[in-house]
Amino acid sequence: MSKAVDRPGAEEIPSAPGARRIKTGAGWGAARLRAAADWPARQVTTSFVLPAVLLLFFLSIFPLLVSAYLSLTRFQFVPGGFALRWVGLANYGKLLVGIEQSHFLGVPKPPTVVGWLLFGLAASVLLLFAVRGITSASGRRGVVGRAAFAVVAGAGIWLAVRTLTPGGFPGTLLTTLIYVVVGITVQYWLGLWLAFLCAQEVAGRRFFRVVFLLPMMITPVGIAYTFRILMDLGKGPFAPVWRALGLAEVSWANYAWGARLVVMLGDIWQWTPFMFIVLLAALESLPAELIEAAMVDGASRWQLFWRISWPQLIPVTSTLILIRMIEAFKIIDLPNVLTNGGPGTATESLTLHAFMAWRTLDIGGSAAVAYMLLFVVTFAALSYVNLAHRRLAEAA
Amino acid sequence: MARVWRVRRAPTALPAWLAVVFYAALVTWAAVVLFPLYWIVVTSFKLPIHVYAGPVYLPFVDFMPSLHAWRYLFVDLRNDTLRPFENTVIVALVSSTLALVLGTGAGYGLLRFHYRPRLSAILLFTATAVLVIAAMAERVHGLAAIGGGVLLFLLVRAVLGRSGRTVGNDDIAFWMISQRMLPPVAVVIPIYVMFQRLSLLDTRAALIITYTAVNLPIVVWLMRDYFRNISLELEESAAIDGASPYRIFWSIVLPLATPGLAATFLLVLVFSWNEYLFALFLTSANAQTLPLSIAAQNATRGPMWWYMSVLILIMITPVIAMAIALERYIAKGLLVGALKG
Amino acid sequence: MRRRVSWLLVSILLLLPLAGVTPAASQGKPFDGVTVNVLTFTGPQIAEPLQRRGPDFGKLTGAKINVITVPFSDLYQKVLTDVATGTNSYQAFVFDPQWMADFVTPGYLEELTSRVNADKALQWTDIMPFFRNFSATYGGKIYTVPLDGDFQMVYYRTDLLQQAGLKPPQTWADYFKIAQTFNKKDLNGDGTPDFGSCIAKKRNAQSYWMVWSVAAGYLQAKGTREGSFFDADTMKPLTNNEAFAEALRVYVQTGQYGPPDELNWDVGDSRSGFVTGRCALSIDWGDIGPLAVDPKTSKVQDKVGAVILPGSPRVLDRKTGKLVACTVQKCPYSTGGVNHAPFAAYGGWSGAINKAAPAKVKDAAYAFLSYMSQPAQSSTDVTIGITGFNPYRRAHFTNLAPWLKSGMSAAAAKNYLGAISASLNSANMVLDLRIPQNQRYQQIVLDTAIAKMLAKELNIDQAMKEITDGWEAITNELGRDTQLKAYRESLGIPTK
Repeated sequence: MSKAVDRPGAEEIPSAPGARRIKTGAGWGAARLRAAADWPARQVTTSFVLPAVLLLFFLSIFPLLVSAYLSLTRFQFVPGGFALRWVGLANYGKLLVGIEQSHFLGVPKPPTVVGWLLFGLAASVLLLFAVRGITSASGRRGVVGRAAFAVVAGAGIWLAVRTLTPGGFPGTLLTTLIYVVVGITVQYWLGLWLAFLCAQEVAGRRFFRVVFLLPMMITPVGIAYTFRILMDLGKGPFAPVWRALGLAEVSWANYAWGARLVVMLGDIWQWTPFMFIVLLAALESLPAELIEAAMVDGASRWQLFWRISWPQLIPVTSTLILIRMIEAFKIIDLPNVLTNGGPGTATESLTLHAFMAWRTLDIGGSAAVAYMLLFVVTFAALSYVNLAHRRLAEAA
Repeated sequence: MARVWRVRRAPTALPAWLAVVFYAALVTWAAVVLFPLYWIVVTSFKLPIHVYAGPVYLPFVDFMPSLHAWRYLFVDLRNDTLRPFENTVIVALVSSTLALVLGTGAGYGLLRFHYRPRLSAILLFTATAVLVIAAMAERVHGLAAIGGGVLLFLLVRAVLGRSGRTVGNDDIAFWMISQRMLPPVAVVIPIYVMFQRLSLLDTRAALIITYTAVNLPIVVWLMRDYFRNISLELEESAAIDGASPYRIFWSIVLPLATPGLAATFLLVLVFSWNEYLFALFLTSANAQTLPLSIAAQNATRGPMWWYMSVLILIMITPVIAMAIALERYIAKGLLVGALKG
Repeated sequence: MRRRVSWLLVSILLLLPLAGVTPAASQGKPFDGVTVNVLTFTGPQIAEPLQRRGPDFGKLTGAKINVITVPFSDLYQKVLTDVATGTNSYQAFVFDPQWMADFVTPGYLEELTSRVNADKALQWTDIMPFFRNFSATYGGKIYTVPLDGDFQMVYYRTDLLQQAGLKPPQTWADYFKIAQTFNKKDLNGDGTPDFGSCIAKKRNAQSYWMVWSVAAGYLQAKGTREGSFFDADTMKPLTNNEAFAEALRVYVQTGQYGPPDELNWDVGDSRSGFVTGRCALSIDWGDIGPLAVDPKTSKVQDKVGAVILPGSPRVLDRKTGKLVACTVQKCPYSTGGVNHAPFAAYGGWSGAINKAAPAKVKDAAYAFLSYMSQPAQSSTDVTIGITGFNPYRRAHFTNLAPWLKSGMSAAAAKNYLGAISASLNSANMVLDLRIPQNQRYQQIVLDTAIAKMLAKELNIDQAMKEITDGWEAITNELGRDTQLKAYRESLGIPTK
């Protein structure tokens, strides 16, 4: 009887120590179950998560293992069909030290003085961070985590400093990171500002709410093509404006940063609504007492928002950033349709890199790029969850 | 009940200058959002030459609109436009509903209850599952493989006993969201093979299953946060009154979380409505969805903007209707605060 | 009321023939009850003629033709996934024969040699020799039925050249002279300056074919069998020598006379640019011809001429890697000392049959492909712009009537067909690369290096090194012998 309870992801120990880790989580469920820790009751709590866990498990385990295996092989046609030849880590080696290095990591150049300064600054902050991990009483796991974070983040900044120097070119890895960081920052503040505006008592706000959602509803491929025609300086709607400005001979498509900027513009247009709708819904479901009390005290609208509403949005904010981060790393349609990754490889994201390899049947190489992406995202997400998300979620 | 309808907003109207600033901001962003859409609408009435020869802006003023693209898609192709449309509607609605049902429960469970599965049990389960799948791939009969797997699992489980490290709710939640980290291009071929073995290729079922799984983590995470904002007291008093967890969840928690449900549903609906890569691989003739039709308009002679625009408009209209319908529920967030006050 | 009656009458009239024909149609036809799923990309090009002629074919033979389409960009992956995993949802494909090596090696395609030889109605020898002997053939065996002729030409504006007293370009130097003359002039009367030359240089689009159209004339001089990508004895790439460097210089220089955002132009842009009168010159497949005739798309009706790809008076000496002047021995196919090498980029859409299909279905599929290619059908189809089919048979050139019917003037039709047949009659046509995983050689290595060079990330020497190293890496990875054997087979050279 008891064995059946031990299914993974489903077991539940009513009086588990450390049950206070999630502040609001130590709710009535635990209390109730402490009172009646019998098997049927545990099945009830299990039944809330089990279907989701099982569906995810069975749909993810096989693809995950197979693609990991593919990344260690080389796909080739042989008489009678195809063969997967085991090549060990060759596909990864190609990206990190081999022929694809300049594509994946970029072309480094010695940093300028500013570069050195920035790197020095970042390195000392990271060092401080790692040292504080040793002195504070966060346990062995915390120290290792902090040290690992400091090393990887330091390497990332070193890469950025070296490839963003004049003469160097960032690879697909760094390009993707730039999209993620810039995209999320702009989208979040824009989405928050719009949600704030739409939560005000202004006439026609229902109209604005629906309008602001629109970009998200268009299929990403469609958005990418729409931006391609909008941004076309020969036959797009802004062509006459561009000519009138005397810029007829200049095109964003020839400049690495111009092209990246256009990709990011499309991304911001497309995904700000995602931030907007989630923040608006959160804003709308905030309890009213605090606001009322503060209003009685004569707080200004501005203060109300920053002191009362926004702090309560932090848990949602934190989740939102995590979800958007994971999605943003997978950006593909915009660079693929707008520029196909050009000029050169300036706008190519990691997913596009993987996709291009995959389209030419370099399945192993493509899986290796995808797995590198998985490592980067996992690292970023884990760091984020451990360094920011838990604290933010508990701060509320 | 009267308190429910009390408005919690600022009692005073906006000062005039602030209203102007707010309106300016709102209208600016609305223009930014609407202009590309306007361009799509206009383009759907253009002849190729109107697009090629530089921009024309206003139908009847600087060009003569033509219905050729609409006619081509609705008259000439008819079924090739309507069938994907029908598929898209069914797949998106069913999969979002399923994801919402499963994910809401899981999100709530992960917030309110404590799960402590053992790491050893998880690894054992994974290993058994891999063995069973491998056996089935080697054409062992499905029932025999699953039966053997269950037996093996129980046996080793009994030997190992109940000890060792456990994982917590946060780990489960993180595992769930991590399922979205691999780009679809990395997993599409294994998933294709999986559905091929299940003889589900080119069916709506394959897409529904895939989209449900792909959207689940988002539902779990967003709903968990919406539930977090709901006060515990109501639930606790109901629990003391002897209501079952199901009853509490259904009658107290869900109604309070309506805005979150509406927003989340809209989100996952949009995701499955617009998904491209899985749709491309898991379908061939019968179950194709509209994003494929849009991508297909870029063929050997360059993008056919006019057809593409029509398809984008066809695709976006139902979602707009849905957004307008759900917007009212998002607005009902008013109720939440009032009930608790 | 009267309206309703008339509707009723119309409906009855419409339904009568159906009622009469349907039962009769299913009696005693060779392929009654046979369904063939044909996969191609979502048209209207290519898919349209298949969809239009499928029912006609059905009436003749009883077979049901299902044309299934997927987006163009994903066709290759989709077909290969389907056959490699044994799903086999499709019995026939209309695809690009350049992919043949990837399909023939594992044995996914039905060999058609005996069927073709036994098929009188197909009139195999009427097909131009290049498409018959190289495009449809791999390792001496026939695997596809050509439905389209694809190779690149240079298009020019007849009106402009006439005004300026210039001749169509024979060499790239001529090309530059014309481009320079018209660059930054208003070429279509809209008051804005236009461009001397428009070439699709967007990354991961068609740029890697365009650059080869320039390079071909420098690299290959001794006939199709010589090949232009590798040394046919050692599999060493021909991309690190004076000739290729010169070709890259030419390719970069065309940018001086192009639109400012040419790096982001694909053929969709260059075609629309040319037919709206914004470009004096362009390199393209046969598509501009029919597009320029269509009033829905074109502002340059009857002002478009085509000419064989410009050549070079100097060619690669394969022993020394130097660029040397043409002589009769070095360039046996040259005209006036200029070596032309028309590049059959992509290869022309062709029909192939899935080997795993049931025998009866294969017969029906073959009969359909043959039907599509027979002169009775194809002579009309190649003149219709929407089909995307370009001429590939002698019969398509001899009969001008369908061309005039399609809206071309007699002079334009003669000029267009003249350029096509000049290219097709050349024994020095260049075969596109057809070895296993050619997409990695071209679409990844070549294309990326060219894109970086155009974006000034690499200079010409660095680009050549990157291409050569990249190609060598793939060759070593896949096995030099395998790749060399395939390269020789694609050119029809017997294996040593």
